[in-house]
Amino acid sequence: MNWFKHNLTALFVVNLFFVCFGIEAHAGEAKIPKSVVSLAPSVTETLFALGLGDRLVGVTNYCDYPPEALKVPKIGDFISPNIEAIMAKRPDLVIGVSGATDLQKTKELERLGLKVVLVSAANLNEIMNSMKSIAGLLGNEAAGKRLVMKINAQVSEVKKRVEPAPRRPVLLLVGIRPLIAVGGKNFIDELITLAGGTNIAGNAGQPWLNLPDEYVVAKAPQVIIEAGMGSEREASSKRWEDLKSIPAVRQGRIYSYPSDKILRPGPRFGEALEELARLIHPECFNFANNQRNGESRCESPRP
Amino acid sequence: MERVDVKVLDRRKMIEVNGILFLALILSIVGCALLGPVQIDLSRAVKNLFSSDSNAEILLRTRLPRVLLGAAIGGGMAACGVVLQALLRNPLACPQMLGVSAGASLGGILGLIFLPNWLLLLGGGLLGEISWVPLAAFLGALLSMALVYRFSLFHGRLHPYHLLLTGVIFNAFIAAIMTFVNSIVDFYQAQGLLFWLLGSLSTRAYSTVAFIWIYVLLGFFWLWSKGVSLNLITLGEDSALQLGVEISALQRQVFVASSLMIGAMVSVSGMIGFVGLMIPHVMRLIVGSDHRLLLPASFLAGGIFLSWADTLARLLLAPAELPVGIVTAFLGGPFFFFLLYREGRRRIAL
Repeated sequence: MNWFKHNLTALFVVNLFFVCFGIEAHAGEAKIPKSVVSLAPSVTETLFALGLGDRLVGVTNYCDYPPEALKVPKIGDFISPNIEAIMAKRPDLVIGVSGATDLQKTKELERLGLKVVLVSAANLNEIMNSMKSIAGLLGNEAAGKRLVMKINAQVSEVKKRVEPAPRRPVLLLVGIRPLIAVGGKNFIDELITLAGGTNIAGNAGQPWLNLPDEYVVAKAPQVIIEAGMGSEREASSKRWEDLKSIPAVRQGRIYSYPSDKILRPGPRFGEALEELARLIHPECFNFANNQRNGESRCESPRP
Repeated sequence: MERVDVKVLDRRKMIEVNGILFLALILSIVGCALLGPVQIDLSRAVKNLFSSDSNAEILLRTRLPRVLLGAAIGGGMAACGVVLQALLRNPLACPQMLGVSAGASLGGILGLIFLPNWLLLLGGGLLGEISWVPLAAFLGALLSMALVYRFSLFHGRLHPYHLLLTGVIFNAFIAAIMTFVNSIVDFYQAQGLLFWLLGSLSTRAYSTVAFIWIYVLLGFFWLWSKGVSLNLITLGEDSALQLGVEISALQRQVFVASSLMIGAMVSVSGMIGFVGLMIPHVMRLIVGSDHRLLLPASFLAGGIFLSWADTLARLLLAPAELPVGIVTAFLGGPFFFFLLYREGRRRIAL
């Protein structure tokens, strides 16, 4: 489980993060990077969202958004980028994500004289700070501020919408066999809370965890969202059909939401938040309901 | 190998031993179903057995099928271990060491990825949740068993050292292929494939559990019916031949029967190791090495062992759960070294 493995090493990564920025403080004033290699889809998306996509000279095989990213040369996959391919691009800057980018590879790249920066994706605040620091590194702080403002506006819009609604217990899965759920310490957990839900696995210390079915039954989620893009061909309705005591099963509120937007700690998380809120509280986005005024805006959905 | 008793079966001992173990298995299944990370209210569960009460659902719909599945898989693995150790006259033989589990896993993975969707759905409609994947896993198991066996033959004789060496190399080779497959499928699909490598149990529909029990029991009774021949073959191939055992026919049947079991088991649980190694040895110490008795005793004990191992897996890090393969490896790894040490001390010429 690469996610788990990388999270174990997160502590070390944080240290390296400071080291990288230390280097930046000395050398950074000299010139603004003209060519950048991105080691993560979220970084690629961030660069394009900042309007700096043209600086990219290399991205990973998984960088498929926006469509322009597909035209940038590939430097290997997300977990193990290819050092030679990166060196061949002679980038002024390499940007990865702490906790996800391979530390050995990072050290190797630095040893070869490249400037490497790992940005944090630990929580929403960090993600937005990362956007600002990427913008700063590339000499366009204003773009960073604009992007963060745009996302903040999206977030407060959703908050306003779901505010009158009661919080719903939610289970968000990335795998159904075995059940891999979003735990606490994960920015997706924050998104669930902002969208007016409570993550039933949110009190767990791990960012992702393998849940037993009985825990789901006991916590009685009202909404189950499957964000996995997995290979499971088993129909998810079948997976749950026996467990009628779960409100989400009884009311048919099991949604398949296989979206990169929510899984990537990138600039589209504001959009993902709105889509998530629409799944958890569809009544709050109902046009007819919104026309009426005051507190009755969010009524419980028809079963 | 232990001393072999080729004598009239002691019926009383048979009934006593298996009776006790059967009772213990039933108690274990009940006990394990009562234990879990979530506290349930038993009286409410019993009162609302057939309605959609969460207590009843946890007990009957999530825990019981999983415990029953664990019992079948533990039993099946142990039974396969017994017959492979006897047939190959090797105390370290078991589905995992020989690479048969790995072969089944690879078969299953390839089946899952490359079988066309309509075929999976067709079978799914007829046979429940799973259908063609166990078949692919069965073929993988059978093929790897045949390969490992073929490459362990030395001048027409089965050479125990070669057998283990072939098993080790075969395991490494399969691991490489699986890693390769893992790196060519996309990132998210790869996450789903990991469970094949870890060996874990999860809640399955009763239809699936029944399906696995049928496979396992079929294989088990087939193997059990070969009890006398297995006793004779532990004396050595020459003696067994003189006593009228058709060795190659026996080998073929045992290979097919155990592949059938391993394929079915691996397709729902991945590679759970060490059960097939550990249980047969423990039971041989307790009940002796008459396979007519040893086989059912190991089957029952394997079921008991895996039920409890899985309960540990569910409880240790609650509410998160461990793959049960980790628990069996923690218990089985040291046992394996003990076994090697003991064999070394006794200087048994393998």
